[in-house]
Amino acid sequence: MTDLSRSRLWLMRMGFVGLGLLILFFHLLPLDTTPRSWAGPDLLLGFACAWGLRRPEYVPALILALVFLLADLLLQRPPGLWAVLALIGVENLKSRGRHLRDASFAAEWLAVAVVLSLVILGNRFLLGLALLPTPSWTLNLTELAATLLVYPVIVLVTHGIMGVRKTAPGDLDALGKRV
Amino acid sequence: MAKDRSSSSDFTGPLRRLLLAVLVLALTGIFLLWRIDSPRVERFRAQVTDRFVPNLDWAMAPVTGTINLLRDFQSYQRLSEQNRELRSELRQMQAWKEAALQLEQENARLLDLNNVRLDPRLTFITGTVMADSGSPYRQSVLLNVGARDGLVEGWATMDGIGLVGRIAGVGKNTARVILLTDASSRIPATIQPSGQRAIVAGDNSAAPPLDFIENRELVRPGDRVISSGDGGVFPAGILIGQVAADPGGRLRVRLAADYERLEFLRVLRHHGNEKVPDTAQVITSDGPLADPAAPVGVEP
Repeated sequence: MTDLSRSRLWLMRMGFVGLGLLILFFHLLPLDTTPRSWAGPDLLLGFACAWGLRRPEYVPALILALVFLLADLLLQRPPGLWAVLALIGVENLKSRGRHLRDASFAAEWLAVAVVLSLVILGNRFLLGLALLPTPSWTLNLTELAATLLVYPVIVLVTHGIMGVRKTAPGDLDALGKRV
Repeated sequence: MAKDRSSSSDFTGPLRRLLLAVLVLALTGIFLLWRIDSPRVERFRAQVTDRFVPNLDWAMAPVTGTINLLRDFQSYQRLSEQNRELRSELRQMQAWKEAALQLEQENARLLDLNNVRLDPRLTFITGTVMADSGSPYRQSVLLNVGARDGLVEGWATMDGIGLVGRIAGVGKNTARVILLTDASSRIPATIQPSGQRAIVAGDNSAAPPLDFIENRELVRPGDRVISSGDGGVFPAGILIGQVAADPGGRLRVRLAADYERLEFLRVLRHHGNEKVPDTAQVITSDGPLADPAAPVGVEP
Protein backbone atom coordinates (compact mmCIF):
# COMPACT_ATOMS: atom_id res chain seq x y z
CA MET A 1 0.00 0.00 0.00
CA THR A 2 2.81 2.34 0.95
CA ASP A 3 4.67 1.59 -2.26
CA LEU A 4 1.55 2.21 -4.29
CA SER A 5 0.78 5.59 -2.75
CA ARG A 6 4.42 6.61 -2.92
CA SER A 7 4.61 5.84 -6.60
CA ARG A 8 1.32 7.69 -7.09
CA LEU A 9 2.77 10.68 -5.22
CA TRP A 10 5.77 10.84 -7.54
CA LEU A 11 3.55 10.24 -10.54
CA MET A 12 1.43 13.24 -9.61
CA ARG A 13 4.52 15.37 -8.96
CA MET A 14 5.85 14.51 -12.39
CA GLY A 15 2.35 15.14 -13.68
CA PHE A 16 2.52 18.71 -12.39
CA VAL A 17 5.89 19.26 -14.06
CA GLY A 18 4.46 17.85 -17.29
CA LEU A 19 1.45 20.16 -16.99
CA GLY A 20 3.76 23.14 -16.53
CA LEU A 21 5.78 22.18 -19.60
CA LEU A 22 2.56 21.75 -21.62
CA ILE A 23 1.36 25.23 -20.62
CA LEU A 24 4.76 26.72 -21.52
CA PHE A 25 4.67 24.87 -24.82
CA PHE A 26 1.38 26.49 -25.76
CA HIS A 27 2.65 29.88 -24.60
CA LEU A 28 5.65 29.60 -26.87
CA LEU A 29 3.79 28.67 -30.05
CA PRO A 30 4.42 31.52 -32.49
CA LEU A 31 0.75 32.22 -33.17
CA ASP A 32 0.52 35.88 -32.32
CA THR A 33 3.47 38.11 -33.04
CA THR A 34 1.58 41.41 -33.03
CA PRO A 35 1.39 43.25 -29.69
CA ARG A 36 -1.91 42.77 -27.90
CA SER A 37 -3.62 45.21 -25.58
CA TRP A 38 -4.93 42.44 -23.32
CA ALA A 39 -3.37 39.47 -21.62
CA GLY A 40 -4.62 35.92 -21.28
CA PRO A 41 -4.87 34.02 -18.01
CA ASP A 42 -1.77 32.87 -16.16
CA LEU A 43 -2.69 29.19 -16.26
CA LEU A 44 0.51 28.04 -14.59
CA LEU A 45 -0.12 30.03 -11.42
CA GLY A 46 -3.81 29.11 -11.50
CA PHE A 47 -3.08 25.39 -11.62
CA ALA A 48 -0.39 25.76 -8.97
CA CYS A 49 -2.96 27.40 -6.66
CA ALA A 50 -5.61 24.77 -7.35
CA TRP A 51 -3.20 21.87 -6.79
CA GLY A 52 -1.60 23.48 -3.75
CA LEU A 53 -4.95 23.97 -2.09
CA ARG A 54 -6.05 20.40 -2.79
CA ARG A 55 -2.97 18.26 -2.41
CA PRO A 56 0.00 20.30 -1.12
CA GLU A 57 2.17 17.19 -1.18
CA TYR A 58 1.84 16.95 -4.99
CA VAL A 59 3.42 20.38 -5.49
CA PRO A 60 6.40 20.66 -3.13
CA ALA A 61 8.14 24.01 -2.95
CA LEU A 62 11.18 22.80 -4.88
CA ILE A 63 9.16 21.68 -7.90
CA LEU A 64 7.13 24.91 -7.83
CA ALA A 65 10.28 27.02 -7.70
CA LEU A 66 11.91 25.15 -10.59
CA VAL A 67 8.82 25.28 -12.81
CA PHE A 68 8.26 29.00 -12.13
CA LEU A 69 11.92 29.78 -12.73
CA LEU A 70 11.85 27.90 -16.03
CA ALA A 71 8.75 29.91 -17.00
CA ASP A 72 10.56 33.14 -16.10
CA LEU A 73 13.53 32.17 -18.23
CA LEU A 74 11.52 31.04 -21.24
CA LEU A 75 8.92 33.82 -21.20
CA GLN A 76 11.50 36.63 -21.09
CA ARG A 77 10.53 37.88 -17.65
CA PRO A 78 13.11 39.12 -15.15
CA PRO A 79 14.36 35.75 -13.90
CA GLY A 80 13.44 34.93 -10.32
CA LEU A 81 11.11 37.81 -9.50
CA TRP A 82 7.78 36.39 -10.63
CA ALA A 83 8.96 32.96 -9.46
CA VAL A 84 9.67 34.07 -5.90
CA LEU A 85 6.36 35.95 -5.59
CA ALA A 86 4.34 33.09 -7.04
CA LEU A 87 6.15 30.61 -4.78
CA ILE A 88 5.38 32.65 -1.67
CA GLY A 89 1.76 33.05 -2.81
CA VAL A 90 1.19 29.35 -3.41
CA GLU A 91 2.95 28.39 -0.16
CA ASN A 92 0.70 30.81 1.68
CA LEU A 93 -2.36 29.19 0.09
CA LYS A 94 -1.02 25.75 1.00
CA SER A 95 -0.70 26.72 4.65
CA ARG A 96 -4.30 27.92 4.57
CA GLY A 97 -5.50 24.87 2.66
CA ARG A 98 -6.48 23.03 5.80
CA HIS A 99 -8.93 25.76 6.79
CA LEU A 100 -10.23 26.18 3.29
CA ARG A 101 -10.76 22.45 2.94
CA ASP A 102 -14.12 22.55 4.60
CA ALA A 103 -15.11 25.99 3.30
CA SER A 104 -17.16 26.64 0.19
CA PHE A 105 -15.70 27.23 -3.25
CA ALA A 106 -16.44 30.96 -2.96
CA ALA A 107 -14.07 31.24 0.01
CA GLU A 108 -11.37 29.45 -1.95
CA TRP A 109 -11.93 31.68 -4.96
CA LEU A 110 -11.66 34.77 -2.79
CA ALA A 111 -8.44 33.54 -1.20
CA VAL A 112 -6.95 32.86 -4.64
CA ALA A 113 -8.08 36.30 -5.83
CA VAL A 114 -6.32 37.98 -2.92
CA VAL A 115 -3.12 36.01 -3.49
CA LEU A 116 -3.10 36.65 -7.26
CA SER A 117 -3.67 40.38 -6.78
CA LEU A 118 -0.87 40.56 -4.23
CA VAL A 119 1.50 38.66 -6.50
CA ILE A 120 0.78 40.99 -9.44
CA LEU A 121 0.96 44.14 -7.30
CA GLY A 122 4.15 42.92 -5.63
CA ASN A 123 5.64 42.23 -9.05
CA ARG A 124 4.86 45.78 -10.20
CA PHE A 125 6.14 47.28 -6.98
CA LEU A 126 9.43 45.39 -7.04
CA LEU A 127 9.95 46.10 -10.75
CA GLY A 128 9.53 49.79 -9.95
CA LEU A 129 11.86 49.50 -7.00
CA ALA A 130 14.55 47.92 -9.17
CA LEU A 131 14.06 50.79 -11.69
CA LEU A 132 12.79 48.43 -14.37
CA PRO A 133 9.97 49.36 -16.76
CA THR A 134 6.62 48.23 -15.38
CA PRO A 135 4.04 46.71 -17.71
CA SER A 136 0.88 48.67 -18.49
CA TRP A 137 -2.04 48.46 -16.06
CA THR A 138 -4.42 47.14 -18.72
CA LEU A 139 -2.19 44.12 -19.28
CA ASN A 140 -1.87 43.43 -15.56
CA LEU A 141 -5.57 43.88 -14.82
CA THR A 142 -6.75 41.82 -17.79
CA GLU A 143 -4.35 39.07 -16.77
CA LEU A 144 -5.72 39.10 -13.22
CA ALA A 145 -9.35 39.15 -14.39
CA ALA A 146 -8.78 36.42 -16.97
CA THR A 147 -7.03 34.17 -14.45
CA LEU A 148 -9.82 34.61 -11.92
CA LEU A 149 -12.52 33.98 -14.53
CA VAL A 150 -10.77 30.82 -15.68
CA TYR A 151 -10.08 29.61 -12.13
CA PRO A 152 -13.36 27.65 -11.75
CA VAL A 153 -12.56 25.84 -15.00
CA ILE A 154 -9.06 25.13 -13.71
CA VAL A 155 -10.57 23.68 -10.54
CA LEU A 156 -13.03 21.57 -12.55
CA VAL A 157 -10.22 20.19 -14.69
CA THR A 158 -8.01 19.61 -11.65
CA HIS A 159 -10.79 17.89 -9.77
CA GLY A 160 -12.55 16.01 -12.54
CA ILE A 161 -9.94 15.11 -15.14
CA MET A 162 -6.68 15.05 -13.21
CA GLY A 163 -8.23 13.54 -10.11
CA VAL A 164 -6.52 15.93 -7.71
CA ARG A 165 -9.13 16.15 -4.96
CA LYS A 166 -9.22 17.51 -1.49
CA THR A 167 -8.40 14.95 1.13
CA ALA A 168 -11.55 13.62 2.71
CA PRO A 169 -11.73 11.94 6.12
CA GLY A 170 -10.74 8.32 5.72
CA ASP A 171 -8.41 8.95 2.78
CA LEU A 172 -4.89 7.70 2.91
CA ASP A 173 -2.15 10.28 2.78
CA ALA A 174 1.12 10.01 0.93
CA LEU A 175 2.68 7.74 3.51
CA GLY A 176 -0.28 5.40 3.57
CA LYS A 177 -1.61 6.65 6.88
CA ARG A 178 -5.16 7.65 7.48
CA VAL A 179 -5.65 11.39 7.31
CA MET B 1 -6.84 11.47 12.98
CA ALA B 2 -6.14 15.10 12.39
CA LYS B 3 -3.95 15.17 15.45
CA ASP B 4 -1.83 12.41 14.04
CA ARG B 5 -1.35 14.35 10.83
CA SER B 6 -0.52 17.64 12.47
CA SER B 7 2.04 16.03 14.75
CA SER B 8 3.80 14.62 11.71
CA SER B 9 3.73 18.05 10.08
CA ASP B 10 5.18 19.48 13.29
CA PHE B 11 8.04 17.15 12.75
CA THR B 12 8.69 18.07 9.12
CA GLY B 13 7.48 21.67 9.44
CA PRO B 14 10.76 23.39 10.32
CA LEU B 15 12.60 21.49 7.61
CA ARG B 16 10.02 22.49 5.05
CA ARG B 17 10.16 26.09 6.20
CA LEU B 18 13.93 26.07 5.93
CA LEU B 19 13.71 24.72 2.38
CA LEU B 20 11.20 27.41 1.49
CA ALA B 21 13.46 30.12 2.93
CA VAL B 22 16.42 28.78 0.96
CA LEU B 23 14.35 28.72 -2.25
CA VAL B 24 13.08 32.27 -1.70
CA LEU B 25 16.61 33.48 -1.05
CA ALA B 26 17.94 31.67 -4.11
CA LEU B 27 15.27 33.10 -6.41
CA THR B 28 15.72 36.60 -5.02
CA GLY B 29 19.46 36.15 -5.49
CA ILE B 30 18.93 35.22 -9.15
CA PHE B 31 16.79 38.32 -9.67
CA LEU B 32 19.37 40.59 -8.01
CA LEU B 33 22.19 38.96 -9.97
CA TRP B 34 20.23 39.55 -13.17
CA ARG B 35 19.68 43.18 -12.22
CA ILE B 36 23.36 43.75 -11.47
CA ASP B 37 24.99 41.60 -14.14
CA SER B 38 22.36 41.26 -16.82
CA PRO B 39 24.48 40.00 -19.77
CA ARG B 40 25.75 36.95 -17.91
CA VAL B 41 22.28 35.87 -16.78
CA GLU B 42 20.84 36.64 -20.21
CA ARG B 43 23.48 34.36 -21.70
CA PHE B 44 22.35 31.68 -19.28
CA ARG B 45 18.76 32.32 -20.37
CA ALA B 46 19.77 31.95 -24.01
CA GLN B 47 21.45 28.64 -23.16
CA VAL B 48 18.38 27.35 -21.34
CA THR B 49 16.17 28.35 -24.27
CA ASP B 50 18.66 26.77 -26.62
CA ARG B 51 18.52 23.49 -24.75
CA PHE B 52 14.78 23.50 -24.22
CA VAL B 53 12.92 24.87 -27.23
CA PRO B 54 14.56 22.95 -30.10
CA ASN B 55 13.47 19.74 -28.37
CA LEU B 56 9.88 20.86 -28.71
CA ASP B 57 10.18 21.83 -32.34
CA TRP B 58 8.89 18.53 -33.66
CA ALA B 59 5.61 19.20 -31.87
CA MET B 60 5.49 22.98 -32.21
CA ALA B 61 5.51 23.14 -35.98
CA PRO B 62 2.50 20.82 -36.53
CA VAL B 63 0.46 22.31 -33.69
CA THR B 64 1.09 25.85 -34.92
CA GLY B 65 0.19 24.74 -38.42
CA THR B 66 -3.04 23.12 -37.27
CA ILE B 67 -4.14 26.12 -35.23
CA ASN B 68 -3.38 28.49 -38.08
CA LEU B 69 -5.31 26.19 -40.40
CA LEU B 70 -8.36 26.34 -38.13
CA ARG B 71 -8.04 30.11 -37.93
CA ASP B 72 -7.90 30.34 -41.67
CA PHE B 73 -11.00 28.23 -42.02
CA GLN B 74 -13.20 31.27 -42.39
CA SER B 75 -11.12 32.56 -45.22
CA TYR B 76 -11.31 29.16 -46.89
CA GLN B 77 -15.05 29.58 -47.09
CA ARG B 78 -14.54 32.52 -49.40
CA LEU B 79 -12.08 30.51 -51.43
CA SER B 80 -13.59 30.91 -54.88
CA GLU B 81 -14.08 34.63 -54.41
CA GLN B 82 -10.51 35.02 -53.25
CA ASN B 83 -9.30 32.92 -56.12
CA ARG B 84 -10.92 35.27 -58.62
CA GLU B 85 -9.42 38.31 -56.92
CA LEU B 86 -5.99 36.74 -56.81
CA ARG B 87 -6.14 35.83 -60.48
CA SER B 88 -6.93 39.36 -61.54
CA GLU B 89 -4.18 40.61 -59.25
CA LEU B 90 -1.80 38.09 -60.75
CA ARG B 91 -2.47 39.43 -64.25
CA GLN B 92 -1.59 42.92 -63.10
CA MET B 93 1.50 41.59 -61.35
CA GLN B 94 2.70 39.87 -64.51
CA ALA B 95 2.66 43.19 -66.29
CA TRP B 96 4.65 44.68 -63.41
CA LYS B 97 7.06 41.79 -63.43
CA GLU B 98 7.79 42.37 -67.09
CA ALA B 99 8.46 46.02 -66.35
CA ALA B 100 10.63 45.11 -63.37
CA LEU B 101 12.70 42.68 -65.40
CA GLN B 102 13.35 45.28 -68.04
CA LEU B 103 14.29 47.81 -65.41
CA GLU B 104 16.57 45.30 -63.70
CA GLN B 105 18.43 44.65 -66.91
CA GLU B 106 18.73 48.33 -67.58
CA ASN B 107 19.89 48.92 -64.02
CA ALA B 108 22.52 46.20 -64.29
CA ARG B 109 23.78 47.70 -67.51
CA LEU B 110 24.01 51.15 -65.98
CA LEU B 111 25.75 49.84 -62.85
CA ASP B 112 28.19 48.03 -65.07
CA LEU B 113 28.85 51.17 -67.10
CA ASN B 114 29.53 53.13 -63.94
CA ASN B 115 31.61 50.34 -62.41
CA VAL B 116 29.55 50.48 -59.22
CA ARG B 117 30.31 47.96 -56.51
CA LEU B 118 27.36 47.40 -54.18
CA ASP B 119 28.27 46.39 -50.65
CA PRO B 120 29.45 42.80 -51.22
CA ARG B 121 29.60 42.02 -47.53
CA LEU B 122 25.91 42.48 -46.94
CA THR B 123 24.68 38.92 -47.16
CA PHE B 124 21.96 37.23 -45.18
CA ILE B 125 20.95 34.01 -43.48
CA THR B 126 17.32 32.98 -43.45
CA GLY B 127 15.82 31.30 -40.40
CA THR B 128 12.35 30.15 -39.46
CA VAL B 129 10.46 31.38 -36.42
CA MET B 130 10.27 28.60 -33.81
CA ALA B 131 8.60 30.34 -30.89
CA ASP B 132 7.44 33.74 -29.75
CA SER B 133 8.06 35.43 -26.42
CA GLY B 134 5.09 33.59 -24.93
CA SER B 135 3.81 36.53 -22.93
CA PRO B 136 1.97 39.72 -23.87
CA TYR B 137 4.54 41.78 -21.97
CA ARG B 138 7.43 41.14 -24.32
CA GLN B 139 7.62 41.11 -28.11
CA SER B 140 10.25 38.77 -29.45
CA VAL B 141 10.60 35.65 -31.55
CA LEU B 142 13.04 32.77 -31.49
CA LEU B 143 14.82 31.78 -34.72
CA ASN B 144 16.28 28.37 -35.51
CA VAL B 145 19.67 29.81 -36.45
CA GLY B 146 22.29 30.63 -33.85
CA ALA B 147 25.98 30.90 -33.03
CA ARG B 148 26.49 27.73 -35.09
CA ASP B 149 25.55 29.76 -38.16
CA GLY B 150 27.80 32.66 -37.16
CA LEU B 151 25.10 34.94 -35.80
CA VAL B 152 26.23 37.89 -33.69
CA GLU B 153 24.19 39.99 -31.27
CA GLY B 154 22.93 43.22 -32.73
CA TRP B 155 22.47 42.11 -36.33
CA ALA B 156 19.40 43.36 -38.11
CA THR B 157 16.53 41.04 -38.98
CA MET B 158 13.97 41.63 -41.70
CA ASP B 159 11.24 39.80 -43.52
CA GLY B 160 11.26 40.23 -47.28
CA ILE B 161 10.06 43.82 -47.07
CA GLY B 162 10.99 45.68 -43.92
CA LEU B 163 12.98 45.64 -40.73
CA VAL B 164 11.57 43.34 -38.04
CA GLY B 165 14.01 43.66 -35.17
CA ARG B 166 17.50 42.99 -33.93
CA ILE B 167 19.23 39.90 -32.61
CA ALA B 168 19.53 39.89 -28.82
CA GLY B 169 20.58 36.66 -27.19
CA VAL B 170 22.33 34.01 -29.28
CA GLY B 171 22.42 30.38 -28.27
CA LYS B 172 24.15 27.60 -30.16
CA ASN B 173 21.13 26.65 -32.23
CA THR B 174 18.73 29.50 -31.59
CA ALA B 175 18.72 33.27 -31.55
CA ARG B 176 16.19 35.67 -30.11
CA VAL B 177 14.95 38.62 -32.14
CA ILE B 178 13.68 41.61 -30.18
CA LEU B 179 10.91 43.00 -32.37
CA LEU B 180 10.62 46.73 -33.09
CA THR B 181 7.37 46.71 -31.10
CA ASP B 182 9.04 45.56 -27.86
CA ALA B 183 9.22 48.14 -25.11
CA SER B 184 13.01 47.85 -24.95
CA SER B 185 13.65 48.31 -28.67
CA ARG B 186 15.34 51.55 -29.83
CA ILE B 187 16.44 51.89 -33.45
CA PRO B 188 18.02 55.03 -34.96
CA ALA B 189 16.20 55.98 -38.14
CA THR B 190 16.17 58.53 -40.91
CA ILE B 191 12.94 59.94 -42.27
CA GLN B 192 12.92 60.46 -46.01
CA PRO B 193 12.66 62.72 -47.94
CA SER B 194 13.43 65.36 -45.30
CA GLY B 195 16.44 63.47 -43.92
CA GLN B 196 15.42 64.05 -40.31
CA ARG B 197 16.97 61.77 -37.69
CA ALA B 198 14.76 60.06 -35.11
CA ILE B 199 14.59 57.03 -32.85
CA VAL B 200 11.97 54.35 -33.40
CA ALA B 201 11.09 53.48 -29.80
CA GLY B 202 8.93 50.41 -29.26
CA ASP B 203 6.19 50.68 -26.64
CA ASN B 204 4.35 47.37 -26.87
CA SER B 205 1.89 48.70 -29.41
CA ALA B 206 1.53 47.75 -33.06
CA ALA B 207 2.89 51.10 -34.31
CA PRO B 208 5.97 52.29 -32.41
CA PRO B 209 6.29 56.06 -31.87
CA LEU B 210 9.09 58.24 -33.25
CA ASP B 211 11.18 59.94 -30.57
CA PHE B 212 13.75 62.72 -30.73
CA ILE B 213 12.79 64.09 -34.12
CA GLU B 214 14.98 67.10 -34.85
CA ASN B 215 12.34 69.20 -36.56
CA ARG B 216 8.79 67.95 -36.49
CA GLU B 217 7.53 70.45 -39.06
CA LEU B 218 9.52 68.76 -41.78
CA VAL B 219 7.99 65.34 -41.15
CA ARG B 220 4.66 64.42 -42.71
CA PRO B 221 2.53 61.31 -42.40
CA GLY B 222 3.36 59.02 -45.28
CA ASP B 223 7.09 59.74 -45.24
CA ARG B 224 9.36 56.73 -45.46
CA VAL B 225 11.30 55.70 -42.37
CA ILE B 226 14.56 53.83 -42.97
CA SER B 227 17.30 52.73 -40.61
CA SER B 228 20.10 55.27 -40.38
CA GLY B 229 22.98 53.11 -39.25
CA ASP B 230 23.93 55.60 -36.52
CA GLY B 231 25.97 53.97 -33.80
CA GLY B 232 27.47 51.52 -36.24
CA VAL B 233 25.61 48.47 -35.02
CA PHE B 234 22.97 48.42 -37.67
CA PRO B 235 23.24 48.58 -41.44
CA ALA B 236 21.80 51.76 -42.91
CA GLY B 237 19.05 52.04 -45.47
CA ILE B 238 16.70 49.22 -44.47
CA LEU B 239 13.03 50.12 -44.82
CA ILE B 240 11.24 50.32 -41.47
CA GLY B 241 7.87 51.73 -42.48
CA GLN B 242 5.84 54.85 -43.03
CA VAL B 243 5.16 57.78 -40.75
CA ALA B 244 1.60 57.99 -39.44
CA ALA B 245 0.03 60.35 -36.92
CA ASP B 246 -2.11 58.87 -34.17
CA PRO B 247 -5.27 60.68 -32.94
CA GLY B 248 -3.21 62.34 -30.21
CA GLY B 249 -0.99 63.94 -32.85
CA ARG B 250 2.00 61.79 -31.97
CA LEU B 251 4.06 60.54 -34.88
CA ARG B 252 4.30 56.79 -35.15
CA VAL B 253 5.69 54.31 -37.66
CA ARG B 254 3.38 52.01 -39.52
CA LEU B 255 5.74 49.07 -39.90
CA ALA B 256 6.41 47.73 -43.37
CA ALA B 257 7.14 44.17 -42.22
CA ASP B 258 4.14 41.88 -41.92
CA TYR B 259 3.97 41.26 -38.19
CA GLU B 260 0.81 39.19 -38.48
CA ARG B 261 2.70 36.32 -39.98
CA LEU B 262 6.36 36.15 -39.10
CA GLU B 263 7.51 32.83 -40.49
CA PHE B 264 10.79 33.26 -42.29
CA LEU B 265 13.18 36.02 -41.25
CA ARG B 266 16.41 37.19 -42.84
CA VAL B 267 19.31 38.01 -40.59
CA LEU B 268 21.62 40.48 -42.30
CA ARG B 269 25.29 39.81 -41.78
CA HIS B 270 26.77 43.12 -40.81
CA HIS B 271 30.40 43.80 -40.09
CA GLY B 272 30.10 47.35 -38.88
CA ASN B 273 30.11 50.57 -40.81
CA GLU B 274 33.52 51.68 -41.98
CA LYS B 275 34.57 54.84 -40.21
CA VAL B 276 36.39 57.57 -42.09
CA PRO B 277 39.30 58.79 -39.97
CA ASP B 278 39.41 62.55 -40.24
CA THR B 279 42.84 63.09 -38.76
CA ALA B 280 45.29 64.52 -41.25
CA GLN B 281 48.31 62.38 -41.92
CA VAL B 282 51.74 63.49 -42.95
CA ILE B 283 52.81 61.74 -46.08
CA THR B 284 56.48 61.02 -46.43
CA SER B 285 58.40 59.30 -49.15
CA ASP B 286 57.81 55.95 -47.33
CA GLY B 287 54.07 56.47 -47.24
CA PRO B 288 51.92 58.01 -44.52
CA LEU B 289 53.35 58.43 -41.03
CA ALA B 290 51.90 56.07 -38.44
CA ASP B 291 49.14 57.79 -36.53
CA PRO B 292 48.24 56.46 -33.11
CA ALA B 293 44.69 57.78 -33.26
CA ALA B 294 44.08 56.45 -36.68
CA PRO B 295 41.72 54.26 -38.47
CA VAL B 296 39.45 52.66 -36.03
CA GLY B 297 39.30 49.85 -38.47
CA VAL B 298 36.72 47.15 -38.51
CA GLU B 299 37.66 43.67 -37.65
CA PRO B 300 37.01 41.34 -40.54
